[in-house]
Amino acid sequence: MPPSSKDITVSLSRQLANYKLSDAVVKSLGERLFIEGLDIGRFNPCIYGICADYFSDKMPNLRTITAKDQISHWEVFPYGIIDWDHFHIKVAFNVDELGGRAFDQAFDRGFQR
Amino acid sequence: MHESFDTPSGFLPERIVHLHPTTRCNLACRHCYSESAPELRDALHVKDIVRVLTLLRGEGYRQLSISGGEPLMYAELPTVVREAHALGFRVTMISNGLLVSSRHDTVLSQLDGMAISFDGLQATHDEMRGRSGVFVRALSTLQALSSAGIPIAAAVSVTRPALTELPDLVELLVEHGAQAVQVRPVANAGRAQTLDGTLLPRDVDRLRLFLVMQALAQELGQRPGSSPRLHCDVVPAAALWRQRTQYASLLNASADQPAPLSALVNPLVITDRGMLRPLAFDMAPAFDIGTVENWSPESLVRYHEQGLPLLQQLISTALSTLQWSDDVVDWFDVCARHSQAPEWNTVPRVMKTPPLERPARLA
Repeated sequence: MPPSSKDITVSLSRQLANYKLSDAVVKSLGERLFIEGLDIGRFNPCIYGICADYFSDKMPNLRTITAKDQISHWEVFPYGIIDWDHFHIKVAFNVDELGGRAFDQAFDRGFQR
Repeated sequence: MHESFDTPSGFLPERIVHLHPTTRCNLACRHCYSESAPELRDALHVKDIVRVLTLLRGEGYRQLSISGGEPLMYAELPTVVREAHALGFRVTMISNGLLVSSRHDTVLSQLDGMAISFDGLQATHDEMRGRSGVFVRALSTLQALSSAGIPIAAAVSVTRPALTELPDLVELLVEHGAQAVQVRPVANAGRAQTLDGTLLPRDVDRLRLFLVMQALAQELGQRPGSSPRLHCDVVPAAALWRQRTQYASLLNASADQPAPLSALVNPLVITDRGMLRPLAFDMAPAFDIGTVENWSPESLVRYHEQGLPLLQQLISTALSTLQWSDDVVDWFDVCARHSQAPEWNTVPRVMKTPPLERPARLA
């Protein structure tokens, strides 16, 4: 049975909670995760490490995103005609210590059932 | 009244009075900020509490949160809950969950919400509480109250060992009926100041806590308005800075244009010694508003003239620390730490308002 999204995220919460992820990695993630003017909506593991969804009622300043180091991928979705003043921004952060690991562990659990 | 009671007051969604009627407690937890203990006997007089609650309700406060000490050891708790309800307060309580029995059915049924406090999984919780078996009993109370239909939550104080256990703990609490889980790092106040330094959360641990709670929110499938609700007292400083206008009532208030106290001071704490204190139990006494025995409409006028400028300056200073911070913060702990700086006893009481617009970051 493939892992559920819960399996994958459970793995992330436990990896963040235990001290095996070094303070330096946590600090580095925090510095990149907080982007000026944007509120964090969702927060999930992904193939790059961690992917976050942000929401804003203003067109995001793209320089605040692109100026950050170790961002693997980003996209901006204007809600357009649905809501002219609403933007959804998806950003993938490269976290070597997490990239793929959450999936590996979740898949391991899935196959052990 | 001078203004709508529905406008935001500080960073809280409701205007709250935190009442500590006693520091008597059946436990003496190693991290207790109020240093409560079984041998303490002092308690506030119920007549003083009801009198001051009447005044505070008129000042726009709408929620009464009772803690302690252990509130169930305060003999006049049923009177306080009944009178507060009659005044129109929404009444909640936080307890260690060890003394709940059928003789409390009436008072518990009158509460609008109750939280049981936890410090980690069994070994960590029992160690922090200084008594074995109390985790299992607290968890059993949580489940029993949930089954009885009482709106029940869990309040978790996080030390460094407890942080590792948080995912399992939150899952366990939800399984036992917690409709909400509030998490905050242990503050370096009261008895916690004597803890081994390796137990107290560091700045990076607060960040780790924030990230864990974000991940847990996804794990539990949190959606706005759905149950269980997760709340973390640690938030990005930048997010608070963006909401700084919620302190506009306080920062723009003057003795000539007074606003109701709930628009200026939120939460308001009533300590076990009867002090009316802004924002946090461990705020420096220099910021106290008055006492439950003597507080009156006249003393409120004096507070507007003399005490409020000091609070305005404190909040202004604390807000300005958020402006360029990439860190996460526990806002009321930030205020309490700032209040304890020695210069607050000597600073000129001149209001200093922070800039309303954040200047463009220099290239």
